[in-house]
Amino acid sequence: MEAATHMLRTGRRGPLFEYQMAFRDLRASIGRADLAWSLAWHDVSSRYRGSILGPFWITLSMGLMVVGIGVVYANLFGIALKDFLPLVALGIVFFGSISGTVTEGCETFVQAAGMLSQTSLPMFTFVWRTVFRNVINLAHHLVIVVGVLIYYGYWRHSNVPVAALGLVFLVLNASWISMLVAIASARFRDIPQVVISVMQFAMFVTPVFWPANRLGAHHFVLDFNPFYHLLEAVRAPLMGGTVAPHTYLFLASMALVGWLLTFSLFANTRRRIVHYL
Amino acid sequence: MKAPPVSISCQDLTLRFPVYGVDAKSLKKSLAKITVGGRLGRSHGATEVTAISGLNMELRAGDRLGLVGHNGSGKTTLLRALSGAYEPDEGSIEVQGRIAPLLDLNLGIDPSASGYENIRLRGRIAGLSAKEVETRMDEIAAFTGLGPFLAMPVKTYSAGMQARLAFAAATSVEADVLLMDEWIAVGDAEFQQLAHRRLLKLVERAGILVLASHDLDLLRLYCNKVMRMEGGVASPVTDIRKLDELMAA
Repeated sequence: MEAATHMLRTGRRGPLFEYQMAFRDLRASIGRADLAWSLAWHDVSSRYRGSILGPFWITLSMGLMVVGIGVVYANLFGIALKDFLPLVALGIVFFGSISGTVTEGCETFVQAAGMLSQTSLPMFTFVWRTVFRNVINLAHHLVIVVGVLIYYGYWRHSNVPVAALGLVFLVLNASWISMLVAIASARFRDIPQVVISVMQFAMFVTPVFWPANRLGAHHFVLDFNPFYHLLEAVRAPLMGGTVAPHTYLFLASMALVGWLLTFSLFANTRRRIVHYL
Repeated sequence: MKAPPVSISCQDLTLRFPVYGVDAKSLKKSLAKITVGGRLGRSHGATEVTAISGLNMELRAGDRLGLVGHNGSGKTTLLRALSGAYEPDEGSIEVQGRIAPLLDLNLGIDPSASGYENIRLRGRIAGLSAKEVETRMDEIAAFTGLGPFLAMPVKTYSAGMQARLAFAAATSVEADVLLMDEWIAVGDAEFQQLAHRRLLKLVERAGILVLASHDLDLLRLYCNKVMRMEGGVASPVTDIRKLDELMAA
């Protein structure tokens, strides 16, 4: 409890100091990760309070969407349901997780205005709250993933450790984007609308519910789509495929550059964020 | 290892609020500024209000500081700065000891959650671990006097019942530094007595109390020192017996 019993707040002392303070905030939030976790659980459980299925409503509604889109598009594209439904199921679940983390990121600091303006809780705590909440949601959705993989027999070829690695990259990248939009949304109230539009656009240009090979000669454009890499790193190994090495290169550099960028922005705006709200 | 004694130290503390108007929050305005070649950089067109300027104060264990001053004189801002929420623009604040800001009792109260859940939530925010909250739960629950209502959503409570819950949850944490914006008086006459006693106990246990209030008699009752704020400028910390002189000045 060292951090809780000594507090030092000072004016700006040069850029290096700002980075140190930002890092201290990050460290404090990790020390109190259980608080972020409790808040996230509270969010999930309070959303479904009083309902019979509880958080499994998330699973059910997503399951319906998967079946609906899966059946309709399989017919439209003329692909066997066996090949198509798992693709769509995994696509929707994992893209939904990215999209949820990012769009809910817009609310991260805005919703925490009350706590931020009268406690010394680390700001990162609220970033983790959003991320953890989406991880919890994803855990519920995994029921669909497992069900589909077993039903269509893909589980025999599933490479779970590689998919888990992909999931780590997914969370790592989704969280910096989430934090970036959290800061931006606190300052500019137009940002949430922009983010929602961009994520909607991304959903359609990313092979979430269409097979990537349909692009044929234009397949290369997907290499510039970060969401494609995020999705492939998790989905391909689960469906018995392999992940191209350049996808990992892309995701690792994206995480590195993204976090550096976001952390610098945080270091420079940290003092101001509470006044934006 | 012995923890250093409880203390608060503010040196040349200056706090400025950038005022981002509703317009300024719009991206369009900012973008427009860039396209017309307006001045980017630190000013950014935001007006700044100096809420506290050049404040110096040293408090030691046993100090009960009353803050007086008109509305907008910077009392609440100072309390929030002491809670660690606001960063100084210049100078520094150093606090040794566990801080309990009792600025807004309704902080973190979720109306759709039950009384128990809210106690847990509030305790966690105040820095208790899940286990610590559970061990105190019975005591807190008993103090609210809400009995079976604690299992019901807080939105079904009357305002007075909500206040009881919020007060019990918020005051369940021992702290070395207690920050209060107005002396808290909630609930009916009977509960006010209880609350009063509990608050006094908390104040006794805490090393330092900082209490902002307009009620001079109240300050005389609970404080031994006083500081007057006027437009963000603070008087020196004075003995409470000189309150009248301070107010006349």
